[in-house]
Amino acid sequence: MLLPTPDGLSLEGYRIIIIVITALMLIVTEPIPLPAIALYILISEVYLGIGSANGIAKSFMNDAVFFIMGSLMLAVAIIKQGWDTRIALGIIKITGNKTANIAFGFTAISAILSSFIGEHTVAAIMLPIGMTLIHFTSENDKKVQNLSAVLLFSIAYGCLVGSIGTPSGGGRNVIMIDYLRSSNLSISYIDWMLLVYPLVLIQIPIVSWILIKNFPPEYNQLDSGVRKLVVQVAKSAELTGRNSVAAFIFLLVFLGWIFFSETVGLGTIALTGVLMYLVGGFVKWEDLSKNTHWGVILLFGSTISLGANIKSTGAAEWLAGSVINIIGPILNTLPFLGDLLVTIMTTVMANVLSSSATVAVLGPITMNIGNDPMHMGLVTAIASAFGYFTAVAAPACTIVYSSGMVKAKDFLKVGWKMGLVSIFLLVIYANTYWLLFS
Amino acid sequence: MKILIAVGSKEYSGPTLRVGMKVSHAFKASTTIVDVGEKVSSFNTKVVGLAQDRMESWDFSRPGVDVLEWAFEFLAEKKFIEPKAIEAGFPKNTLVDTGGNRSEVYLKGTVSDEVSLILRNGEIISELRDEVQSHQYDVTIIGGSKKRRMAHDLIQYIDSSIFIVNNYNPDQTYKLLLAVDDSVGTSKAVRYGARVAQAFNIDVDILTISKTEQFGEEYKNAANRASKYLRRCGIKNQNIYKVGNPSEVIKNIAGDNHIIVMGTSTRSPLKKFFKGSKPLKVMENCQCPILIVK
Repeated sequence: MLLPTPDGLSLEGYRIIIIVITALMLIVTEPIPLPAIALYILISEVYLGIGSANGIAKSFMNDAVFFIMGSLMLAVAIIKQGWDTRIALGIIKITGNKTANIAFGFTAISAILSSFIGEHTVAAIMLPIGMTLIHFTSENDKKVQNLSAVLLFSIAYGCLVGSIGTPSGGGRNVIMIDYLRSSNLSISYIDWMLLVYPLVLIQIPIVSWILIKNFPPEYNQLDSGVRKLVVQVAKSAELTGRNSVAAFIFLLVFLGWIFFSETVGLGTIALTGVLMYLVGGFVKWEDLSKNTHWGVILLFGSTISLGANIKSTGAAEWLAGSVINIIGPILNTLPFLGDLLVTIMTTVMANVLSSSATVAVLGPITMNIGNDPMHMGLVTAIASAFGYFTAVAAPACTIVYSSGMVKAKDFLKVGWKMGLVSIFLLVIYANTYWLLFS
Repeated sequence: MKILIAVGSKEYSGPTLRVGMKVSHAFKASTTIVDVGEKVSSFNTKVVGLAQDRMESWDFSRPGVDVLEWAFEFLAEKKFIEPKAIEAGFPKNTLVDTGGNRSEVYLKGTVSDEVSLILRNGEIISELRDEVQSHQYDVTIIGGSKKRRMAHDLIQYIDSSIFIVNNYNPDQTYKLLLAVDDSVGTSKAVRYGARVAQAFNIDVDILTISKTEQFGEEYKNAANRASKYLRRCGIKNQNIYKVGNPSEVIKNIAGDNHIIVMGTSTRSPLKKFFKGSKPLKVMENCQCPILIVK
């Protein structure tokens, strides 16, 4: 703070960069609880003159924060409906008994579902199905280590791959849409799907193939496991009217996202769904309150405020300009290099922080690299989902790791391969398929 | 009196549990057994909790419950808990969230009032510190660890007395090595040492160390008081006087067939941080069980 302000950067911009660096260090090392970091960000912005108290408060809450809040509460409501047994039956009917097919089925279902209802919801629903299949194949964990890795990573990586498919797949997507809107660029739900969903579909078989190659399963057929799973699921209660109404409510939310998100916002629609579940008695407020991490919502709000102020103070432009000064000449000859750089930078950060915090902080900066903010914004949002490397990088990975059936080193063992493939796929995809739309 | 026993795995925690329960019975203490599982990323604690609730509805126990179940069966097998608790068996699906990263297997009033089984998640020193502070344990019993700074962190951050069960061999004949000097904490160390000696039915070597050839009157009085107390408790003991560096002398005499009992350091936290302390050096150098009395 005592050092002179760099040339071309405003005092507020300089101070916001200092707040960003200190906040990132606090988030990574966690010497204080996460909500305390959120408070640090907010009060620092006021004390250091980034904005007035009311101005900072306004930047803290927007539709993206509504969406994060809504999606976390929707997760609680949906998980309480017990749809996992129906999904289990559905998967087994389609995939049969072959392990490779079941793993592919897990990846595909996880990806498709998480693209609409978020990775943490889907991982929580799918995890017991995977664990049951493993447990029914062999009760001795040591005899099914590879099988456990294949099935559980299929769930985790399927969720990550799918979460980029639609705006409602993750809070990071909504944060980016908000940044694009503030730059007078808009992208509808359907447009996002048209641009990104093919990448999801391409990655599904690749995930499955990489996992089977790295963790050759001990059993090629899971006859006994599947049979027992079918018997167990058959014991669960029949579909009731209430189950159907709960599913209908979610369908309404989904349709709302498709048709009304540009007018009322994705977050508002998510909260409407939560309200309907509460009013219909499908979930209690006590359950919602107990299972929603309010401290994390506070932190996401404050990182969004940081991102907004990084842009408004000119720090985003200055940082982007500094990067371009270094690699500008190469960018002119190899245009895709900008995409590669942004993808790698975002992937690294997302594996250390959360994907939403990464997009919140990096988004305003990367959108100023190159000539197409929409292009770079989408690349940043997609790359923030590449949290394959560690057990803590993404909620889906943490949930699967919490089962105790996969080791932390397994994530690194297969994650770097998946990461490499995803990074190169994204760069090629963004510079070929997206050209059709520009 | 309240004792906390930290277990980590079925393969390695047997000696810790055995020693812990013997000590607990000697002190007639209420016992809590805690398993500290992996830390969950702070961003995802609630969603992981949701997923684990879902796992329980499919009859899967949370990771760590299997360790507590093993601990319960170990106590039953070695008859450390009463017969009616053994008959009732380990209660499934009774994990109750008591708040702050802590869950308890509900045993009281249904299966056993003698022991509590607790599951925590997080960094082990931090979780043990929180458990000790919030529930006021007198002694924390934990197995040895190869992790660097573990000894330092245990002494620095855990407020209770600490018993580290290093390389305990139930077939070995042990003696107790009680290190005494003229410090304030020696009398408590002597009382605790007497209980541990009674728990294991072993003799005591009372060790007094001076850096010079001269042994001050206070040192000799402390040693004599200790000997008198142990005699009154019916424990065979002998006084040993040695000259040298205290941690080296203790290490040489203890070998691998003593249980060391000593008081905590009287240095200030700042001095302890920069210069270390005798108990810390003994903990780092000795490969036998050691009880640091605070």
